[in-house]
Amino acid sequence: MEATREIYWNVGHGVVPIMYVLAVLAVAFLAWGFYRRIRVYRRGRPVDRLANLGGRVSRLLVNSLGQVKVMKVRLPGITHASFFWGFLVLFIGTLLVMVQADLMDPFFDTIFLKGDFYRGFSLVLDIAGLVAIIALVGLLVRRFVVRPDGLDTTKDDYIMHGFLLTILITGFVIEGARMAVTELDAAPELARYSPVGLVFAHALYGLGKSSLQSLHKVLWWVHLVLAVGFIASIPLTKFRHMFTTSANYLFSDLGEKGVMSTMDLEDEEAEQFGAAELEHLTWKDVFDGDACTVCKRCQDRCPAYRTEKPLSPMRVVLQLEEAAFRGSEATLIEDVGSDVLWSCTTCRACEEICPAEIEHLDKILEMRRNLVLMEGEFPGEEVTMAVNNVEVNGNPFGLAFATRGDWAEETDMVLMSEDSEVDVLYFPGCYASFDSRNQAVARSFARICSAAGLKVGILGGEEKCCGEPLRKLGNEYLYQAVAAENIEKFQKYGVTKIVTTCPHCFNTLGRDYRDLGLEVEVEHYTLFLDRLLRDGSLELEAQPFDFTYHDSCYIGRYRDIMDAPRQVLQATGGRITEMDASRYESFCCGGGGGLVLAEEKTGRRINVERVGMAQETGTSTLVSNCPFCLSMFDDGVKAAEADLQARDLAEIVEERLKT
Amino acid sequence: MKILVCVKQVPDMASSVTINAEGVWYVDEGLAFRLNEYDEYAVEEAVQLKEQLGGEPDLTILSIGPGRVKEAMRRAMAMGADRGVHIVDDEYYKKDSHQIASMIADFAKDKDFDLVFTGMQSQDRGSGQVGPAIAAQLDYACVTTLVGFEYEDGKITATRELEGGLHAKVKLAAPAVVTCQLGMNTPRYPTLPNIMKVKKKELLEFSPDDFASGDALVVTESMYVPEKKGAGLVLEGDAGEVAGKLLDVLKEKTSIVK
Amino acid sequence: MKALLVCEVREGKLLESSYELLGFAAAMEADPVMVMVGTEDSVPDFKGTVYLGDVASMGEYNPGEHKQLVLDAVEKENPDYVVFSHSSYGWDLAPRVASALGVAQISEVVELVDGKFVLDACNAKVRRLVSPKTDRVVLTVQAGAFSDDGSFEGSPQVEKISPAGDGHPMEFLGYEEVDTGGVDLTKAEVIVSAGRGIGKEENVEMIRKLAKAMGGELGASRPVVDAGWVDHGLQVGTTGQTVSPKLYMACGISGAIQHLAGMKKSDFIVAINTDADAPIKEIADVLVVSDVTKLVPALLEELGG
Repeated sequence: MEATREIYWNVGHGVVPIMYVLAVLAVAFLAWGFYRRIRVYRRGRPVDRLANLGGRVSRLLVNSLGQVKVMKVRLPGITHASFFWGFLVLFIGTLLVMVQADLMDPFFDTIFLKGDFYRGFSLVLDIAGLVAIIALVGLLVRRFVVRPDGLDTTKDDYIMHGFLLTILITGFVIEGARMAVTELDAAPELARYSPVGLVFAHALYGLGKSSLQSLHKVLWWVHLVLAVGFIASIPLTKFRHMFTTSANYLFSDLGEKGVMSTMDLEDEEAEQFGAAELEHLTWKDVFDGDACTVCKRCQDRCPAYRTEKPLSPMRVVLQLEEAAFRGSEATLIEDVGSDVLWSCTTCRACEEICPAEIEHLDKILEMRRNLVLMEGEFPGEEVTMAVNNVEVNGNPFGLAFATRGDWAEETDMVLMSEDSEVDVLYFPGCYASFDSRNQAVARSFARICSAAGLKVGILGGEEKCCGEPLRKLGNEYLYQAVAAENIEKFQKYGVTKIVTTCPHCFNTLGRDYRDLGLEVEVEHYTLFLDRLLRDGSLELEAQPFDFTYHDSCYIGRYRDIMDAPRQVLQATGGRITEMDASRYESFCCGGGGGLVLAEEKTGRRINVERVGMAQETGTSTLVSNCPFCLSMFDDGVKAAEADLQARDLAEIVEERLKT
Repeated sequence: MKILVCVKQVPDMASSVTINAEGVWYVDEGLAFRLNEYDEYAVEEAVQLKEQLGGEPDLTILSIGPGRVKEAMRRAMAMGADRGVHIVDDEYYKKDSHQIASMIADFAKDKDFDLVFTGMQSQDRGSGQVGPAIAAQLDYACVTTLVGFEYEDGKITATRELEGGLHAKVKLAAPAVVTCQLGMNTPRYPTLPNIMKVKKKELLEFSPDDFASGDALVVTESMYVPEKKGAGLVLEGDAGEVAGKLLDVLKEKTSIVK
Repeated sequence: MKALLVCEVREGKLLESSYELLGFAAAMEADPVMVMVGTEDSVPDFKGTVYLGDVASMGEYNPGEHKQLVLDAVEKENPDYVVFSHSSYGWDLAPRVASALGVAQISEVVELVDGKFVLDACNAKVRRLVSPKTDRVVLTVQAGAFSDDGSFEGSPQVEKISPAGDGHPMEFLGYEEVDTGGVDLTKAEVIVSAGRGIGKEENVEMIRKLAKAMGGELGASRPVVDAGWVDHGLQVGTTGQTVSPKLYMACGISGAIQHLAGMKKSDFIVAINTDADAPIKEIADVLVVSDVTKLVPALLEELGG
């Protein structure tokens, strides 16, 4: 017997028109369902996320078909990917059957599901179906039996698991019934190419031909109705993520990571700053809610959520969606809660891991902008005071601006106002200039520069806060004001190269300031030192020591700089024991998002949490590359009474300068 | 209803002060400036009163000083005022409290202000005289050192801060001059729309000669940085060592530590 | 030269500051006369004339009539100086009197130099030497700047005056004690105070511990009280409590003039501050240039507490 099968065996060709009518209805319902949702997305402001379409389409294909980000979390990721691929193969298989049965055969008299191709086809589909069922059961067990913390199960999940499982199982029963009648006896070698169906066929064989045919017919219709129902349910349930989550790869922000939009403060007509209502966010912000599959990977990694603060990045995204679709009496910020908004450290762990490429931060930061610029609200009075201090003295401590350069008194650093012919400008930032622990780091860095034979200048009393913590808190106005003053000084002295020991200054001067007219090369000292070591300007005498390294958020996740600092530390003789949460999984120190200026009022302390992780490595030194991290870890070590020393990379290098 | 708030721009107290060439006041260079803290509370209280009365009252911010004081005035105006009045005077520091009060009274005398708010003293000169002196010249009632203020139909109920954790409540009638003590309220952080609106509000400029200040009754002979008493011991260094040294000193010099 | 000293009475008791005015008069080499609003029981231990206004009819605080009382006394005595304490009573009343008399007023005198007056300015970072242009001068004197040597002890000659009002009546509704927390810092032998330099509210705890470890009480500067980190009852300063313990430790306190005025009479003063130029250094016996949050734990460790 030819290796093929009779499409519409037993049910007859009469089903075709009905099948198509149902299918068309289902697809029409699907389209209408999405059309209604699109209208809600469009309540948000316009934003162009289709430029460079070719690149976007390939990202979409690679990531959704390749399930790349989904698999970043191993077990659940591979399980989902397996299910996805299995179901995808089955879908393609069904399409092929449709193409032959409803197009090629009747109109072109061509059958391609035959012979070796058909054998391969059967085998692949059977395996795909099996894999899909096994994977689905795995997911089901995870959700309903294991019940991971924070994984919400709603009626959507019951519907989805129900539909998929019954569709898959009825598929095999139908196949088994058919094979029991048409292949078991008549074509047993062919039957082997449908191994799963074969098992079902053997199990059902005893029913006898006429019962099998009835069973087959009934289940065929059941399977069809389920399939049609499944299609129709897509816009109504989380099934929509097949389209929306994939589409989010199309609509991604292809720009640099973690850059805020620069507000036009010259616009006299502008009456709204930041987001108070849905209409002030973009359509993408609303759409993100639909793309969310409630996988909670962001929440799992959020330092605020992990320490019992009220913030869950996933909840914020979903709340926006709820407000958009179900409507709300309250304002957006009332719904989300200002204490939730103030808990974010902008560490980007959420965005980095999100398999749906959702942009959590923009929403939070736009709402913060509203709180500050429209309501004059800050997370606490200590923050208002720090902000006022920046306005008066250019630093959050309220210390006299004229003393900002005093830390450099015994170093070789040159004041730009006295001599601006320098190799590079060092921008220490507020902490290195005024905080005693961090002044030590600045001095270490100064000595390193001298050892490398570099002439380095500082602005001293002319330097102001880079403005980053203010910007992240939402105070765009004051940020632009201090930025303008800094830029004026850079331009006055013809500065072309800046190096900084602070990741926040690094990002702000190097990227944010571009929108305000500054185009200079800004380097973080970790890359700076790495370069000096490699080109021989700097020589070290390695002294071995054990340490663990903290990838600060604004260097690691924001700028992908993870190897250079490790190389530098290796050159110093350091032996690293990595924390579990390192590199892209690094856990924030708690100082970002302007929160270094605020008191931590709820939950456990983020810095203590991180210090605990460092302690687990068994090393005695926690090395970081950021003044906020250093301050946070110093505090955290004290609070946790840990047998650990918090040190900065610059200090370690300086100790090992070849004399 | 019309409200006047008198504010002063003063140096931020974190900065070191250098005496000017005349030897009677400080040099501006190297100093950061800010709105006098006491005046901040005055502005906030006035704005709260304006809000309480449905926004009807007309609120003017007045200041005397060189061009730089406009920055402090704008901050005050952004909290919720209707206009600013700047008496541009580069030699404001040569005028004594009585002259300052006289100029303000001369400005205010034909304007029928119901209430005049100001801080109870300035952070630089700190004489505490200007408020009551304005009241005396305008023949207004006056109450000072307020930590609480209530207003209803022309009647003021004020809470004054006395010494030793004591407050006193008094009642008086407008028109009045009211001077404000620290901690009276929480001064609001100006919203951006309000900061931008300030650009459109009138900021009138006057010359000091436009107002009668009279002659100086007090003359500053000199302003100087007092010589360090020198008796003090200074300890610096690593916290652990310094703690030990400090306790040694206390053991030696006091009977407190054994 | 003659000085009319305006005494302050509160709730029937004459305030000690009234005697400081005698010290000031002595330093000015002026003959003192006194004026006050109170009762016959509250007149000072002063062998001179005391003009007395009846508090029952005039009221505890009624600036119009109090001012008029002083003006009446001025007319009778024709003094060269009219002197007040620089207190909430004095700084309120003095300018009214000076304006009515049309004379110079010099506020918060801390020292006399060659007949001229020294005042603090800019948070006591600088001083001003000033002199009046009028023959008669109204002065207010900083609390604690001058002290009475007892040379005027004796029984006063009381003259009663019933002054008129000034057309701006003020109704006195009463006193309110603000959350004292029940601690009388004036009795404490050791006070360890927290200032804004401690950084965060949670750091108040370590200062409290240090106070206990030193056998003393916790105090605070105004900004810490205003921020709500401690009870107002713990505030040291002109508007809080004026203290003179054996040992005063100021942690993270820069030394605003109002605070200094409240504690500068302490026997031994230690200041802990990161700012080596903080004004408090002027009166500190020991200035520790250090971060409070680092030094205090180190001290606690040394004390074994």
